[in-house]
Order: sequence, then structure tokens, then C-alpha cells
Amino acid sequence: MTAPGSPWEPTTTSAVPPADGTTTAPPARGRAARITAVVLAVLLIGALATGGYLWQTTSAWQQHAADWETEAQGYAEQVATLRGELEATRAELDATTEQLDTATARITELADEKAQLGDENVASRQYLDYQRRVSEAAGVVATALGQCTAAQSQLIGYLNNREAYDQADLERFAADVEGLCDEANEANEQLQSELAQ
Amino acid sequence: MTRRSRRNRGAGVGAVTALAASLAACAALPPMPPAVPDDIVPSIAAPTLAADDEERLSPDGFDAVQRMAVRIRNVGCGNLSTGSGFAVDSHTLITNRHVVAESETLQVSTYDGRDIDVATTGAAALADLAVVRTRDALPSSAALSGADPEQGEEVTVVGYPSGGELTVTVGRVIGTTTDPLHENLGEVLVTDAAVEPGSSGSAALDSDGEVIGVVYAKTGDDRSLLVPQSTLNELLADDDSFAEVDPC
Repeated sequence: MTAPGSPWEPTTTSAVPPADGTTTAPPARGRAARITAVVLAVLLIGALATGGYLWQTTSAWQQHAADWETEAQGYAEQVATLRGELEATRAELDATTEQLDTATARITELADEKAQLGDENVASRQYLDYQRRVSEAAGVVATALGQCTAAQSQLIGYLNNREAYDQADLERFAADVEGLCDEANEANEQLQSELAQ
Repeated sequence: MTRRSRRNRGAGVGAVTALAASLAACAALPPMPPAVPDDIVPSIAAPTLAADDEERLSPDGFDAVQRMAVRIRNVGCGNLSTGSGFAVDSHTLITNRHVVAESETLQVSTYDGRDIDVATTGAAALADLAVVRTRDALPSSAALSGADPEQGEEVTVVGYPSGGELTVTVGRVIGTTTDPLHENLGEVLVTDAAVEPGSSGSAALDSDGEVIGVVYAKTGDDRSLLVPQSTLNELLADDDSFAEVDPC
């Protein structure tokens, strides 16, 4: 800043060649401009490189996202298919479980029916055995009673004509008849015992 | 140093700083994406059953409780009765002494109606218990519990009440009492599980499916009486406890 009213005089600058005549350094403003230009150029190149890289990265990520989406859609379809299959399998399992329950209940019923038939079979066999024993006993009783009555009739005939027979023989025959009738009575008691069962 | 040279140096420093900042900013740039993998489904091993679980699997829809129960038909000399029993191993059944008494032949059938050939029958003198050895293998067997049940414990009875279908009933242990029938030494268990004639010899099981007693009678107020597993264990441990039963 000059004093007001004084004439303007240029100040001495370093652009004045030195006295020894050697080359002088470029003016500082020019060098700063060059440096600035270089820096700007470097920054420009860097920005361009960065932009290019970012563009390439963005494209790659876009492709990546698209690939993932395709992959995800594929898996989603698989999930939908598997869900459908799972539901179908569950329904099939429910039906099978129901059938199994029905089958086990039927097996239990059949086992019971078989057991009841077995019981009835045994009971029938035992009843038939009983009937056979009763029939046999009745036959024995009938035979014994027939023999008893026949012998008693014969004894009555002998007694009506007792002078014709030896007394001792008549007594022995009467004892035999009594024995036969006792056997008939025993057989009858056995029959009554069987019938009482 | 002149003002101009200072300005130049400042410009240089600024340029270097800008370059350094630019290079540092490069580190913040996003990397290139990796390749999408062909398969992202994790490989999961198929579930498998443990050996114990496999043994518990039912081969035919009936559970182990049902498969170990048997129906016993006592064909006597002029009479017929039915009872229940259960397997404690592949060829041994437990039932009541009165179920096998006065028998000409014993006919045993399983839950699915199969007939099992009987080899020998032994009855205990000190309790209403009997052991039946079979020639055919039994479908399943139950383990005996290591301890008698506590009051209030849940009990499951499986057998053939009234000689009918295989039936599972549930109740609770009410307590212990002296045997009103004088058939057993020591105390017997009382439960409220419903039983009927024909249930004699049924296994009474705890919540783990282990045998805690053997049904042998019912009371007038519809409670069931059990020979406790401790009595059964004691008798099974003594070879002389069970005498062979002669046919009538």
C-alpha cells in the first residue's frame, strides 16, 4: 500500500535477472499454476478412475443382486413345491394313522372274537363231555334197573313155587337180586350227581 | 523465506494432502461382489432314531403295554375260566395262582390273537402269583420297577376284564393294606383303577411303563388289589418259590 498522493513505483522483484547473468527461476505464480494444474489433472484422473471403478462395481453388484434374485426365486419355487409335498405327506400320514388305528382296533376285535369262539368251543366240548357222561350213566342205570327188575320178577316166580326149590338156593338168589338192585341204585345216584352239576 | 515461496510450499502441501486424501478415499470404495454360489442349501443329516427309541417303536401300531399282555384260558376238569397275564421276558409270563389253579390245560393268546404254547406252570405258596413258561416267544415284555409306588402315583392296568377285549384302565394308588383274602404275605396295594373278574393277573404299570404290581382281586367298593412288585421280585429271586402245578 502506497502512501496517498505518492507516485506509484514498481517494487523490485525477483524476476530481475541477477547480476552474474545466470538463468533465473520461473516466476512463482507460474509454478503454482503448474502445480495446481498437475494436481487438478491428477485429481481429475483419480476422479475418472474412481468413477469408472464405481460404475463397474455398481454394474457388478447389480448383476450380483440379479443373480441372487434368480437364485432366491429358484429356492422359493422349491420351497413352494416342498411345502405342497409336505402338506400332501402330512395328509397322507394322517390318513395312514387313521387307517392304522382302525386296523389295530379291528385286530383287537378279531382277537377278542377268536377268544370268545375259543371259549365257546371249550364250553361246548365240556358240555358234550357232560352229556356223554350223563348218557352213559343213564344207560348204566337203565341196564342195572332192568337187570334188577328182571331178577326180582324171577325171584317172585321162585317164591311162588318155593317148595320146588332149595331154601338155601332161594336165599342166595335173593341176595344176588338185592346186590343187583343196590348197583342199580348206585348208578342212579351217580346219574343224579351228574345231573346236579 | 519469501511470501511467494511460502505460498508455493503451501500449494505443494495441499496437493500432496489432496492426493493422500484421494488415496485414502479409495479404501472406502466398495469392493467387487463375489460370485454367487451354485448351491447355498446347507447339508443337514437325516434324523435318526436312538437305539432305545428304535426298540420302543411299535412294529404294528400296538404299544409295548398292549403287546406284553396275554389272555389266559384255564380249561379245567368240567369248568372254564379266563384271566390275564403279562410277559417279563421272552418266554416267561406272570399271572395269579388262582388263574392257573385246577387246570387241565392253559391256553394263552396274545393281543393280536396268536396262540402261545405253554411249557410249564408254577404257583407260589406265599402269594397269589404264578409263573408260566412258554415254548413260543412272547411279543414283548415289561421290566419290573425297582420300588413300590407311593400313594397318589398314577397306575395303568392292562388286561382282559371279563374275558373280553384287551383293555387299558388308569387310576391312582390309594395306599396299602393287609390282604383281606389272606392269600398274600405282607401288605398289598390298593388302587382305584377299575378291574373285573378276568383282570386277575393283569400288570399294573407306573408312568414309566414298569410293573409296580399284579392285580389279584377287587374290593366291594370297586377298588383293585395288587400284589406289589417287591413281593414278586422276592419270589422270582428264589427258585423254590414256585412249585409246579399238577393238572386236575
